[in-house]
Amino acid sequence: MRVGGETYALPVENVAEIVECGAIAPLPGAAGGVIGVRNLRAQVLPVFDLAAVLGAPSGTSAVLVIAEAAGNRVALGVDAVLDVAELEAASEASDLPFLSGTLLDGDSLVGIIDPDRLFAALAQRAAA
Amino acid sequence: VIDELAELLDVFRDEADGRLDSLVDAVLALESGRSGSDLVEGLLRDLHTIKGGAAVVGLDDVAALAHAIEDLLEPVSETGVFPPELAEPLLRAADSMRAGLRGEAVPAAPVAPVAAVAPVTETRSIRVAAEKLDRLLDLVGESLLHQRRLEHVLGSEAAADELDVGERLLGELKDTAVGLRMLPLSAIATALPRAVRDIAASEGKAAELTVHGLETELDRAVLEGLTEPLVHLLRNAVAHGIESPEERSRKGKPSVGTVELRAAQRGNAVEVTVSDDGAGVSEAVREEARRAGSLADVLCRSGFSTADSVSNLAGRGVGLDAVRSFVEGLGGSFEVRSEPEQGTEFILLLPLALALLEVLLVESDGNVYGIPLASVSEAVDVHEPVSLGGRPHLRLRGEALPLAGLAQLLGASGPSKPASVGIVVAAAGRSAAVTCDTLLGQEEVVVKPLGPLLAAVEGYLGAAVLGDGRVALLVDPASLLRGAVSGTARRAAASAPAQRSPKVLVVEDSVTVRELQRSILETAGYRTVTARHGREGLERLLADTEIELVVTDVEMPELDGLELTRLIRAHPERGNTPVVIVTSCADDAARERGLVAGADAYMVKQGFEQEALLETVQRLVGR
Repeated sequence: MRVGGETYALPVENVAEIVECGAIAPLPGAAGGVIGVRNLRAQVLPVFDLAAVLGAPSGTSAVLVIAEAAGNRVALGVDAVLDVAELEAASEASDLPFLSGTLLDGDSLVGIIDPDRLFAALAQRAAA
Repeated sequence: VIDELAELLDVFRDEADGRLDSLVDAVLALESGRSGSDLVEGLLRDLHTIKGGAAVVGLDDVAALAHAIEDLLEPVSETGVFPPELAEPLLRAADSMRAGLRGEAVPAAPVAPVAAVAPVTETRSIRVAAEKLDRLLDLVGESLLHQRRLEHVLGSEAAADELDVGERLLGELKDTAVGLRMLPLSAIATALPRAVRDIAASEGKAAELTVHGLETELDRAVLEGLTEPLVHLLRNAVAHGIESPEERSRKGKPSVGTVELRAAQRGNAVEVTVSDDGAGVSEAVREEARRAGSLADVLCRSGFSTADSVSNLAGRGVGLDAVRSFVEGLGGSFEVRSEPEQGTEFILLLPLALALLEVLLVESDGNVYGIPLASVSEAVDVHEPVSLGGRPHLRLRGEALPLAGLAQLLGASGPSKPASVGIVVAAAGRSAAVTCDTLLGQEEVVVKPLGPLLAAVEGYLGAAVLGDGRVALLVDPASLLRGAVSGTARRAAASAPAQRSPKVLVVEDSVTVRELQRSILETAGYRTVTARHGREGLERLLADTEIELVVTDVEMPELDGLELTRLIRAHPERGNTPVVIVTSCADDAARERGLVAGADAYMVKQGFEQEALLETVQRLVGR
């Protein structure tokens, strides 16, 4: 998926579905990175701006990736979803937080997101 | 009674079993060579919780065993080294505790400390009567059939009738679903008569508890939080209400005092009362109550109790204030009545179901918010706001109310638009006029929590999905009004910096203790910031340069108080921030560890006196 002009991958078993941005109720008082909450079939989901969380250049959050990990379910705002692909194991470790590694796919560098670490960071971020 | 005990035992066993499972996992991981202070700390927390729980419910042998293992693990928690030969005795002890939990004569109650120390990973379970589920499924099936009938008749004259039927069915469906969350008072009350006997014995008095309305059902979440306030009120009744046996016989009363716990449903609320047949509050207190207009206000103020002499048992004003905060935090109310020589009665009015909330829906900056109707006094026209102390106020029947925009109070950036609609919101003894763009009307909504990831965002009770699919954020009135007051305080401070009151950070994982300390400090005029564990505390401290002092607990998840103190001391900018450690660990070694870590003061919770805390804080911030 494309996030703020950069490319990232999330393990497909952590992705429940992809939805349009839709109507998001902003949450005044929440930290940066929290866009708000959204109704998804009568379920209230927190919506995070993935670009802000990853520290990528600001993106559009036009599409929401509904992600699940550690019993939590969130909507992650991304620019676009590019592909579902089988990637080789990460070729290089990354010193960026939330990434389990990076790899070169064709010409582009793909950051592999570690869902557990990402979700832990989301909880911290909302509290900040 | 047998049924209640059995049900109770199941609830407690579920909880303790989960703790023992994770304890065993930790021991096995440590034995297999995995190291990590996380594992040891988690293990100690599990033990501590089991110990606390077992002691509360009178499973003394289980509590003693947990305590013994805690002692055994003391060197491990200090050195971080786990000798593998410890694994075998630990696992055996876990088995013994499990056996103890299943013992025949084990009247157990759900345990308040479990909620207080619960880690984020706690799985929530609920025991449900099978009839309720059957009924729910019946209703759902009926609704579906009805929906199909509706499609056929839609457009005909019969449509309106069928829609009515649908509404009734769905209403019942909703009520049944809500009923799944309810538990009878008996789930927590069975251990209380013994508690009253024990308290009376330690006070040199004779008292008996009678309980009425054990079958009254309450929302599980309300019930779980109710144990501590109830025990507090019972203590208060025995320690301060009931007279000594000699005094009672002099007055011609039966020598054994009676404490009564009653619960009954009153419409959409449950009324819980704790009353005693003691001497009632003193004439001085009654006089003060006549002046203040409310006995509850006077008793909740620190320094007052229902007796003139204050014993070492709880019963002071701060304790009652915590009870009131708990009740009002749920959207309920708290009242006290007292008659000379007849006794004192505490009345708690609690919401029947937390899942449903009657709210006033309003629109502000294009978004929908819900404000609990119980906190809304009236809607007013906002015209000609007056300025008082440089802040906008609204004049209402000779009173000046602070005036602020809803979205701004919640933390939205940007100036508030001139709004013409105001709502007077009242909670926790404060009120303010809050402005918004439009009033949309009142509605009963189903409260959905914002979830663990957003739990730390302050100011919201949750969210609700409206009929049109929009999300309404449900505003917590008490925190909204705190914001109104601290917002005005900030502005006032800017014009008079010398008057600015010091800000204190309270780091404590137990919500009860945290709220207690917050209320003590705020009553004394300090501003406060709170955090649930050391890591959060450190973040708060580094993010807010106004914090002048830190009050911290020791045993907390994520990052404990000692480590927090060390990290503060090592910090280049905030290294000089005074730190007060408040803990339940009374022994000298613990005190020394605290002071070695760099704490400025060390206070023990058992002998925890609010004056002592305030004196220490005042000494350390120099004001």
